[in-house]
Amino acid sequence: MSITKLAYLNFKQNIRNYLSLIISLAFTILIFLNFQNLLYSDSMDVLGKMNKQNVEIIIRAVTFVLGCFMFFFIWYSTNVFLSRKKKEIGIYIFMGLTNQRIGKLYMLETMMTGLAAMVLGVGFGILTTQLFQMILMRISDISAEIHFQISLEPILISAAVYLVIYLIFVLKGYINIVRSSVLDMVSASRQNEYVKQRIPVLAVKSILGVGILGTGYYLAVKEGGMEVMGNVMAAVVLVVIGIYLLFGGLIPMIFQQLAKRKNFLYKKERNLWINNMVFRIRKNYRTYAIVCVLMLCSVTALATSFAMKQRYDGITHFRNTYSFQVMSAEDHLENDIADIIEKKNDIDYQTKIQILNLDSSYFDTKYQDAAYGLMAYSQVKQLAQDAGLPFDLKEPKDDEIIDVSRLYLLSIITDHSEEEVTINKKSYKETAETSEPYLGYLQELTSSYFIVNDAEYERLSSLGQKMYVYNYRLKDIYNTKASQSELRAYTEGKASSGTALVTIDPNSSDIEWIKVMYSFCVFMFMVFILASGCILFMKVYNDAFEETERYGILRKIGIADRTLKKAAQKELRFAYASPFVVMAVSSYFSVHALAKMMNTDLLGIQLISIAIIFVFFYLCYRLSLAVYLRNV
Amino acid sequence: MTEKKIVEIKNLTKTYGTRGFQTKVLKGIDLMIFEYDFIAIMGPSGSGKTTLLNILSTIDKPTQGSVFLDGRDISKLKNRELSKLRRDKIGFIFQDYNLLDTMTLQDNIALPLSLNGEPAKTCIAKTQELAEMFGLEKHLNKYPYQLSGGQKQRGSACRAMITNPEIIFADEPTGALDSKSSRDLLDCLSAANEQRNATILMVTHDAFTASYAKDVYILNDGAMKCQLTRGKSRKDFYDRIVDMQASMGSDFS
Repeated sequence: MSITKLAYLNFKQNIRNYLSLIISLAFTILIFLNFQNLLYSDSMDVLGKMNKQNVEIIIRAVTFVLGCFMFFFIWYSTNVFLSRKKKEIGIYIFMGLTNQRIGKLYMLETMMTGLAAMVLGVGFGILTTQLFQMILMRISDISAEIHFQISLEPILISAAVYLVIYLIFVLKGYINIVRSSVLDMVSASRQNEYVKQRIPVLAVKSILGVGILGTGYYLAVKEGGMEVMGNVMAAVVLVVIGIYLLFGGLIPMIFQQLAKRKNFLYKKERNLWINNMVFRIRKNYRTYAIVCVLMLCSVTALATSFAMKQRYDGITHFRNTYSFQVMSAEDHLENDIADIIEKKNDIDYQTKIQILNLDSSYFDTKYQDAAYGLMAYSQVKQLAQDAGLPFDLKEPKDDEIIDVSRLYLLSIITDHSEEEVTINKKSYKETAETSEPYLGYLQELTSSYFIVNDAEYERLSSLGQKMYVYNYRLKDIYNTKASQSELRAYTEGKASSGTALVTIDPNSSDIEWIKVMYSFCVFMFMVFILASGCILFMKVYNDAFEETERYGILRKIGIADRTLKKAAQKELRFAYASPFVVMAVSSYFSVHALAKMMNTDLLGIQLISIAIIFVFFYLCYRLSLAVYLRNV
Repeated sequence: MTEKKIVEIKNLTKTYGTRGFQTKVLKGIDLMIFEYDFIAIMGPSGSGKTTLLNILSTIDKPTQGSVFLDGRDISKLKNRELSKLRRDKIGFIFQDYNLLDTMTLQDNIALPLSLNGEPAKTCIAKTQELAEMFGLEKHLNKYPYQLSGGQKQRGSACRAMITNPEIIFADEPTGALDSKSSRDLLDCLSAANEQRNATILMVTHDAFTASYAKDVYILNDGAMKCQLTRGKSRKDFYDRIVDMQASMGSDFS
């Protein structure tokens, strides 16, 4: 029999044995291809040039993440092939094959497996592009005409990326086989020695792990100014390392200690599964850690996208608070302007407020701005009432001030306590910060606005210039164009009194790409969750083969199937639960940090995503258990 | 003998294969095992030793005839009852030890008892007691890969005995051991038997191993050929077994 034919036979065997692995690989290619295709399709054109550019940047970032993911996935699966193959290799060696020939055999059959996955992935990838785009647009709430369209580039790129990574690992496997000695290969199947790990090593790992993880958590939630960005970066690295050390140190140590306490061990099925766990975790801890990190990423990604979406809606609401805003030094213009608008539109509500514009030289604040405006407390209260905006601010004392800020997409500054504002050498304590759009779009423009009490407002009014702001919201906010030119003419006529019109087209949005990002994140969340479920499932599936012999012995010595089932249940439950629990705890910190930066409450979305993962993992666990019990 | 009957085999027949191509492996075997017996079943390859043991240990079912274990006909028991029977009444010793490589010797020995829901204290005490009896008390914290074949087999004997089974089935217990380790194991087993702790049924093709038993049955071509009973001297018994083997002339290996 020629090597090629043997490789083909092995490959056919592989398909049966590693179906789940092949499907997962194909799935990765499918996702990769779909994202690549977005870059080359015209479906994003509806967003406009600026947004499209932003979306492309995101797609490239996502592609990079997916590429990394593919890299690890291929690494993992080729490793599975290699270790399973190495067991059979001993037989070939005794049959007289050289290492090179065995390496060639391995290369051939693994390449065939890889190509099969690629054909599946690309094939289904092409078929699903339209569906993918439709779903994406649907989640993003963007209406666009999607037609089936596929170009050659995304296919070639996806296939090339996959093949290059795959080839690297196949070559790695080949070198590994060529270089290994006969003894290594034969004993690869029974490397069950050194069940326990040395306690001092584990102890050091655990202490480091807990310390690093704790530091990571602390840095993630620590409040601060500009240094927050660095803290968050450090936190990410520390948490990842901490999780690795936790699974590599603390958890094995706990289990080894439990296995030593016979009074504890000899109860229920513990003798069986705890010992098994001690044995397994040595090889499996990396998988648990990867899954844990992967899930943590996905929960955070989902929370980010959710917060972004919330922000997006917030900003849209913010900008659409008023349809027209006229700023003028002249008082009593409200009726004139209203008359002009009402020629072509109906007014939903209108407000008016006086602003004291102060030169920036009077101000001393933490973050310097070009212009400053002050508002009187009672006037803002009146305005909020007129516009129907929520108002729950307490009147500031003489030495207190309220910051009226814009709504940021993302703010890295999380520490807002104890800020002081100095106006004309008098210092005010900032008691609150509000991002209610009392001044509408104006609030987003260059000035900083503050609220002081009425007395202080009067006292300071001699320092600056009083301006009046007239705000109008149309019943039909999309009909601004009708009144725009006449209003502009009116304000231009009064340019001498500093009159100016501020308006924003409600249809055009420079942040539309956030909606696309939102759907990407939702998508990534699903992909990652699916992937982590798959990884654990495959791990368990693989373990089941190794367990077959052990379960055979247990059955022979008369251990009832029911007992074995219970032990397997507990072992698998641990395999699924431990990464889940560590993820749930860690995600509290990551999402908490995120919530602070985004200034929103994300607890709800966090709980929901954890619940989703829980349900999915539970299903995986049930499926694993069934497969496990069938195989052992 | 007025001892309690543990196993009663009546006209046991086992055939394999489909109609027309049947092979009779066991051709009507009768055997009684009483409490504190130590029986060896010898026979050449293909004589049906393993089939007999499989049926006795409830892994296989007889075609005809009946096997009573502890007064109950095992061919009429349901699966759940069979597994309970295996768990509570039978201990197993295998040729290849079959200790679990994931746990220490102590855990291996205690395993059946701890899975039966016995209090941890009892498990620990009994493990200790048996380990002392089999000379393993220094090795309890070692893993199987750290033990010699003999130690492993003695460990597996401890595991078989920890549930106080009515009978222990040993399938070629010395098959993988050198003569020194074999002697150690057999000394321990017969000591356990003498101290009225265990009833043992052993399958072997080795005359030396068989000579440790009280009675030796020779199985050939699916039927019991003869029974030898040990007198005072084991040495003498061994010679008689070897003579018998020679007279039968079959291939004993």
